[in-house]
Amino acid sequence: MPEIAFAKPSLPKSGGLAVLATEEGLAARLAALDAATGGAASRAAEAAAFTARKGQSMTLLAPAGTGLARLVLVGLGKAAELTPLAAEEAGGTAAAALLQDAAAAIDAEPACAAPVGAAGAARVALGALLRTYRFDRYRTKEKPEDKPKLAQLTVLAEEVAAARAAWPSLKAVAEGVFLARDLVTEPANVLTPVEMAERCVALRPLGLEVEVFGPKEMKKLGFGALLGVAQGSANEPRMVVMHWRGASPPAKGARKGARAAKPSKPTKPLAFLGKGVTFDTGGISIKPAAGMEEMKWDMAGAGAVIGLMAALAGRRAKVDAVGLVGLVENMPSGTAQRPGDVVTTASGQTVEVLNTDAEGRLVLADVMWYCKKRFDPAFMIDLATLTGAIIISLGHEHAGLFANDDALAQGIEAAGKATGEPVWRMPLGEAYDKMLKSDIADMKNIGGRPAGSITAAQFLQRFVDGCPWAHLDIAGTAWSTKDKPTVPKGATAFGVRLLDALVADRYEGAKG
Amino acid sequence: MIEVRFRRRMPEIGAQAVLAGPEAAARLSLPGFAGRAGEAAAAHDAAGRRLIGAGLGAAPWPREVREAAGRAVALAHGERRIAIDARCLPAALAAEAAVGASLRAWRFPGAPVPRGDDPATPLPPLLERIDIVVAEKRQAGAVWDTLRPGVAGALYARDLVTEPANRLTPHRFAARLRRLEAEGLAVEVLGRRALREAGFGALLGVAAGSAEPPCVVVLRWKGKREGAPVAFVGKGITFDTGGVSIKPAEGMWEMRGDMAGAAACAGAMRALALRRSRCPAVAVLGLAENAIGASAQRPGDVVRTVDGTTVEVIDTDAEGRLVLADCLAWTVRRFAPRAIIDAATLTGAIVTALGHHRAGLFSTDAALAAQIAAAGEAVDEPVWPMPMGGVYAEALKSDIADLRHCSPERRQPDACHAATFLGHFVGGTTWAHLDIAGVEAREEDAPLGPRGATGFGARLLDRLVSLRFETDEA
Repeated sequence: MPEIAFAKPSLPKSGGLAVLATEEGLAARLAALDAATGGAASRAAEAAAFTARKGQSMTLLAPAGTGLARLVLVGLGKAAELTPLAAEEAGGTAAAALLQDAAAAIDAEPACAAPVGAAGAARVALGALLRTYRFDRYRTKEKPEDKPKLAQLTVLAEEVAAARAAWPSLKAVAEGVFLARDLVTEPANVLTPVEMAERCVALRPLGLEVEVFGPKEMKKLGFGALLGVAQGSANEPRMVVMHWRGASPPAKGARKGARAAKPSKPTKPLAFLGKGVTFDTGGISIKPAAGMEEMKWDMAGAGAVIGLMAALAGRRAKVDAVGLVGLVENMPSGTAQRPGDVVTTASGQTVEVLNTDAEGRLVLADVMWYCKKRFDPAFMIDLATLTGAIIISLGHEHAGLFANDDALAQGIEAAGKATGEPVWRMPLGEAYDKMLKSDIADMKNIGGRPAGSITAAQFLQRFVDGCPWAHLDIAGTAWSTKDKPTVPKGATAFGVRLLDALVADRYEGAKG
Repeated sequence: MIEVRFRRRMPEIGAQAVLAGPEAAARLSLPGFAGRAGEAAAAHDAAGRRLIGAGLGAAPWPREVREAAGRAVALAHGERRIAIDARCLPAALAAEAAVGASLRAWRFPGAPVPRGDDPATPLPPLLERIDIVVAEKRQAGAVWDTLRPGVAGALYARDLVTEPANRLTPHRFAARLRRLEAEGLAVEVLGRRALREAGFGALLGVAAGSAEPPCVVVLRWKGKREGAPVAFVGKGITFDTGGVSIKPAEGMWEMRGDMAGAAACAGAMRALALRRSRCPAVAVLGLAENAIGASAQRPGDVVRTVDGTTVEVIDTDAEGRLVLADCLAWTVRRFAPRAIIDAATLTGAIVTALGHHRAGLFSTDAALAAQIAAAGEAVDEPVWPMPMGGVYAEALKSDIADLRHCSPERRQPDACHAATFLGHFVGGTTWAHLDIAGVEAREEDAPLGPRGATGFGARLLDRLVSLRFETDEA
């Protein structure tokens, strides 16, 4: 992770420099650069037909008259359409062009205009940092010249103090995103349920309370559905409960004699739940070989929840939140669950398992029920790479959003739009619920090909017990095959930023 | 359509049905029947007449009334007459009972008819008459007069969708539509030569493999209001083999219904004519058979649409959007309509997304989308908004033409891609697209229709016109 610093705008003597510009402000930016480069900036921009459109960028190598290795121009689009997200994306685009410079700067001043304001530079820094993510753990022979070199990134803006003040919170979110991307990218032989639980335990220094449940504890809780999925694997399942108490921290040096002050009523926590199938072979209903390697990221929902909890703790969010992840491996074996088995969930409802590859909903059913009973949360939001059908429905452009609460759904839609993690609401309804009818149990775990994502959500809804609830089917958005401005290809950590923004904008009062 | 009459008293003969809430249910001698919505029961009285109770619930909405009446009709199977007692309902709601009863009582006219002379085929007699018993006969009848055309349109669409493809070729379809002239619609048929002259390259490419020549049928209703018409555009693939990108054999027989969009548009036009709508309207129906043959279109072919756009054909089984592209562009040019709504059994992806309970709604116009959704809810034809445009357009970039019509990759959001493709051909016209694949037929009997064709879209479009397009604003 490169070091990020903030400074007043000036022309660096060496290294790389990216200059952001709005369409309206481009001429003035070029004029200033022309003074240093003898007009080269304007000529280059003209030759490249660079008009500062959103997402546009161009690079000049070693512009004469400066000591720079590289001068990059990045378009912010129209000034009137500037948003924090546009600032982040411009930062990401700039960072992608600066990766080969050990030291680089981004002149972010135009991103600090209204309505983004002085914190715009911090947004640019966030976008840049997010784009530099790289998972290098298993590359042992890469030549140094092939590695990205960016180690020190300075973001230039007039109001340095405002940017520095906004930065720590954003950096904590970036760390949560990186943690989630690491988890999703780790191969399944490394990241077993036990190992994943260990990575949660390692978050305790951030102030998270972390509890780990093994098979014995889960058996006692009646997690028949989760344990049924896990029983085919040699790797034991885990459930991890992470608790962040940011709204009611233990009062330090509480004033004595303040008995009159009523102890504040504990607020209901916000609850986030994740599907963590560390590898999904499909079980006895085994998947085709082609593309099965992708199933290492079938724990991306849990990865996002863990990243989110790290982000909330890292930025000391003023909120009580719990994160629960159900961690299992779905393997075929002599002990594996069979199609046709009937399992009893923690809720007491029975499920006929007709397809062992529809396992995520079985895991979540038990975890959701437990969460509701233990925490009685203000809402439950679950994230899961749940269905292939959501890719046929919405592609990789939107995650599927299902909710039993319109206000919660609208909050999620708005947060998704603001963070570049868009969702699209999908329907629920009795007609779909009926598709889960089983001949011998309370429900079956699949509803057939039609409306496959909706019936999966209907299944989950049977375990929310009246709680306001939303379900994000992220099967199409957890992994990206192409680079995006703030998300290099690979694990996206979809959900971390969205849910962090939801918490910050709606549940922490006025945002700092 | 079976005759419906409103009367004040229950007749003595035929099945005796009562629409009842919980209170009224207690007075019926139907064991176990409690008058809940969704509930229905039947028994025989001392005189051997069939007694039927159909539950309304405590506070019925039109939908509960329609469904209760539909359930009553289903339980009257084998009777020639049914009387439905709706006296507990106000006139407007009682009229909805006629809607539900009529929708449920529909039978395909080509279905086998009971023959009294052949004891070996003891088919039960068919329902011939429905009486709705109401307190305010005249008022209920007046409401029914506004609802009946939509029902007639939906049943007309069901008849068309059910016809097998050898009996409903494009030109025989056109001949059936020609008969709508009797109801006041102007009917124009563009044959192959006219289509070639007008530049329908995409539609002709789809039809190239079939021995059955294609045609485009234009239905026009003059209306009373001045100004541009509202336009319906329907996909009318009379049979879809998939072409060279041929479909698997299993289930291919269902593809006779791949003209359900055109049927829905025709049904809606019939409804407008029957109720003498103020709104001028036009329907443009692209009728073709997607067959496989020596002259069939190949994957990779490039065709030119009415508006000059070149399109690379990736998969010949994504033919509906090619037919619609020409029809949409031509409709815009010829009629400059106030709005276009197209209906098509377009993609399997929408079935994976929304199943058999909702159609996919794609629109760039929020107001039109909201009104379509409201119309759909009002007539039991629910839709759900789906995304299009923007990032989905990436998938339609061709290496050698202006557009390709679908993505070559597996597991794609094809319904969103198809809608995005269609959006290229409407210019700036207010437009919405209904992907009705999955809702054009039902697999099991339901309160508002037996298994088979649903007529989905006809009542919705008729209601949309009355909600939005009959006012005088331009």
